[in-house]
Formats: sequence, C-alpha cells, structure tokens
Amino acid sequence: MSENQQEKVKVIDARGSFCPGPLMELIRAVKESAVGDVIEIWSSDTGSQRDIPKWTEKAGHEFLGVIHEEGYDRIKVRKKR
Amino acid sequence: MPKKVLVVGGGTGGTIVANNLAHRLHDKLVAGEVEITVLDPSPLHVYQPAYLLIPFGIMHRSEAIRSERSLLAETVRFRQEGATKIDLKNRTVQTASGNLGYDFLVLATGARPDYSQVPGLEKAGYDFYTLDNAYRLREALGRFGGGRLVTAVAGIPFKCPTAPIEFAFLADSYYSRLGLREKVQVDYVYPLPRPFTIQNVAEDVQTMMDGRKINVNLLFNIESVDPEKKELKSMEGETIKYDLAVLTPPHTGAEVVIKSGIAGKGGWIPTDRYSLRVNGYDDAYAIGDATDIPVSKAGSAADFEAAVVATNIWDSLNGFAPSLRYDGKVMCFIITSIGEATILLFDYEHPPKPPPSNFACYWYKLVYNRMYWSITAKGLLPGVGV
Ligand SMILES: Cc1cc2nc3c(=O)[nH]c(=O)nc-3n(C[C@H](O)[C@H](O)[C@H](O)COP(=O)(O)OP(=O)(O)OC[C@H]3O[C@@H](n4cnc5c(N)ncnc54)[C@H](O)[C@@H]3O)c2cc1C
Repeated sequence: MSENQQEKVKVIDARGSFCPGPLMELIRAVKESAVGDVIEIWSSDTGSQRDIPKWTEKAGHEFLGVIHEEGYDRIKVRKKR
Repeated sequence: MPKKVLVVGGGTGGTIVANNLAHRLHDKLVAGEVEITVLDPSPLHVYQPAYLLIPFGIMHRSEAIRSERSLLAETVRFRQEGATKIDLKNRTVQTASGNLGYDFLVLATGARPDYSQVPGLEKAGYDFYTLDNAYRLREALGRFGGGRLVTAVAGIPFKCPTAPIEFAFLADSYYSRLGLREKVQVDYVYPLPRPFTIQNVAEDVQTMMDGRKINVNLLFNIESVDPEKKELKSMEGETIKYDLAVLTPPHTGAEVVIKSGIAGKGGWIPTDRYSLRVNGYDDAYAIGDATDIPVSKAGSAADFEAAVVATNIWDSLNGFAPSLRYDGKVMCFIITSIGEATILLFDYEHPPKPPPSNFACYWYKLVYNRMYWSITAKGLLPGVGV
C-alpha cells in the first residue's frame, strides 16, 4: 500500500487476484481507513467493475470511477461513513 | 547420504504426496537411497468433509478419523511433532526435538479458522469447522423447534466454498423431513453480490434457493456479532436477527508459516500457480489450503496438486526435468438435499458446467466418503479426488 500526498489515496494492487479477491481487499482497506479517504484498487479481474460499484452503493460509500490501463483497471472509491 | 523429502503437514495433501511418492520410490526407500518424512503434531487424520454431514446424522465420528500412521506407507517415516520454524534459505525445519534438513520440502500445513477477526464470532453460535463443533451443532439442530436459522459466511476465503450453501440446502431438507419446515425460516448470508463466487453456479444456486424458500441475503460483510441480542451486524450498516446462527469463520494459514515469515497476505504461502513451487525456491513446494493460488480450498485441489508435486519430485530425484503443471483443477460436490447433489469440475481456463441435481451424484459422494480412506489418502489414485 502506498500513499499519495496531494489527496490521501491508498493504492491497493490486487492485480493477478481473482474474484472475489479484489472486492474483499477493498472491503478490508475501507475497514482500516478513515472517513474521507480515497482508496484506489488495481484489478485485472473484469468482474471487479461489476462487483465493486454494487458494494460501494450498498455500503454507502462513493464510487469515483474506473481508469482503464493496459491489462488492468484502477477503481477509485471514497469512504463516506 | 539419502535424498530427503520432508512433508510438513499430514492432512489430505501431505499424506497423498508422501504415499504416492512412496509407491513410486519403493525400491529406493528400501535401499536407503531416499527418505520420506511426514511431520504433524496430530496423531490423527481427520476427513473434514464429514464435519458438514455429522450435524445432520449423515456421517459419524468413527467414519471421520484414522490414525495417520496407519494411513502412511510403511516406508514413510512419521514424526508426531509440529514444525516450529521453517528456514527455506538454509533448507532446515525446526521442531521441538531438533532440526531437519531436506532436499525437497512440501508445505501442506492447511488453513485454520480465525475467530478473532470478527468480534463476538466465537461466542455467537455454531459452526461446522471442527469435529467437536460439528457435534455441538448436531445437538442444537435437533433441539431447534422453530425460528430463524441463519447460515452466514464471515470471511472469504474459507475451507470448502460450497459448504455454507450445502448447509442451507441440508437444513431445508432436514426440517422438511421432520415436518418442521413451516416453523423454521432458513437464511443464507453471503458477502458478495451473488450467492457464490462463480457467476453461472451462483445463478443456479439462487434459483434453487428461491425455489426452496431459503432467504438469500447478499453483500452482507459481517463486522460483528452480538451473542446477547442474537444479531449479526454488517459493514454495510445492516442487522440480521437470528435464533440459531451457523457461521463460517474467516480462515488463515498455519501459525508456523506466518511466524517463519513465509506467508504473505492473509497467512497464505505465495506459490506459483502452475509449478506449485514456493515463489523464489526450486526445492520447496506448497499444496492444498496453505497456498495463495486462486483455487478453492478443497481436498480435491490438494489431491490434484499432490499428484503434480509427487510427479515432479520423482522426476527430479531421477534426473529428469519436472514434467507436470497444475492446471487449477478442482472437483466439488454441492449437496442440494438429503438425497441429491450436483458436481462442479473446473480449472483455470474452464468454468464448471454442473448437471441438474440428481441422486447418482449424491450416492457417489457418500461412497466417496468411504473411498477416501482406502484409495485417495493412500495415494493410489492421485489426482482423482473429491
Ligand atoms: C466442513 C468442511 C467440508 C469440506 N468438504 C469438502 C468437500 O466436500 N470436498 C473437498 O474437496 N474438500 C472439502 N473440504 C476441504 C478439505 O477438507 C481441505 O481442503 C483439505 O483437507 C485440505 O488439505 P490440506 O492438506 O491442504 O490441509 P489439511 O488436510 O487441513 O491438513 C493440514 C495439516 O497440517 C498440519 N499442521 C498444521 N501446522 C503444522 C505444523 N506446524 N507442523 C506440522 N504440521 C502442521 C495439521 O495438523 C493438519 O494435519 C471441507 C472442509 C470442511 C472444513
């Protein structure tokens, strides 16, 4: 996990892990973060694009979007509560 | 000096590797050219799939346990002690009685429930992850005259990904047979947005649960359990009340691999998913529940992996290049009622295509429970396991 100074962003590299790995890692990171923190999860599993927004909506966090990179996606979420 | 193969963990994977190698290397073992040693602190080998069936009276203690020594080939040495430290760089494994060296190491230390990850979990209710707990649950199910029976998954990954689904189906079937189903509400609670990790299987499970009036509660990640109020609380801010909770605890790897600094995230051993070598080492393998490879924590996976590792160690001992790769194969039954089951067979490249539930699969599962001892654990049919 690394931190970017401008906005507090925690990056979790879950590439190479398969469903439900990336979602479970995101959930763990949200649990360990403070309200307002942004978490960016890197996933090469295409299922993450479907599962992560569903979870953030239900859990009351903010889905900030997906950036497609070569072979993986960077999915951003803000902890809201 | 004999070549030494050291197997840490005499559960499903470790026992199959040791026995299968022992059959192939019989002459060399007798001549003292090779030594195979299995280390395990427990003198008993437990067939863990029985834990799910004991609560419903379908299996019994006597069918679930054998002595490890009696299962291992005579040519395999069994040391009833645990590894206390594993040093991969210096090729040594420490135990209370001394240090053991090796030429090839197989880590098969399994997974264990970790109740400490969820506050209140241990006191919350029941589970089927140890033999004693399976019997406690049997009593509780028998006493339960009605109310809300909740089976919930409190962390992924865990041993046997289909077990909580099977538990819900078995509970439905069990109370229907007793004429109590109208009084028992069965709830299945799962952290993901579908009732199983694999999409097409999840759809079948959802349809079957709907048809059997099993309530499916999704995206419920248990944060804590309140045993007094009998409530499960989720990270998503929801609460589920229960009268009887049957919970699948989060799991982690063996203490020794964590303390030795071998384990990565979650307590799992970083392992190459094809060669099954511990990352960075060509003389150390890891198999079964202990690894971090993306397959189910299932005895069948341990069995298929054991076949690959036994073959490749045999190759190396005989001067050949390793000749097998693990393709991610897993075979799992899903018992869908007392009397019916379906079967999932899949690998890294091919998702499962389960047939409709039927009696033949159920019957085979019950027969297999007996065959485990005489065939699978003996290493006689490596790679054909359940
Ligand atoms: C309820 C339930 C139902 C299941 N149903 C099925 C099923 O239907 N089909 C299926 O395929 N699988 C099923 N499984 C899963 C299956 O039992 C496991 O996946 C399988 O046992 C894994 O084998 P393993 O060798 O990796 O670990 P295990 O068989 O758990 O063996 C690990 C061994 O390592 C030993 N050990 C731990 N620490 C040390 C140490 N420090 N030194 C030496 N030894 C050590 C332990 O004592 C143990 O004997 C089920 C499991 C459960 C709990």
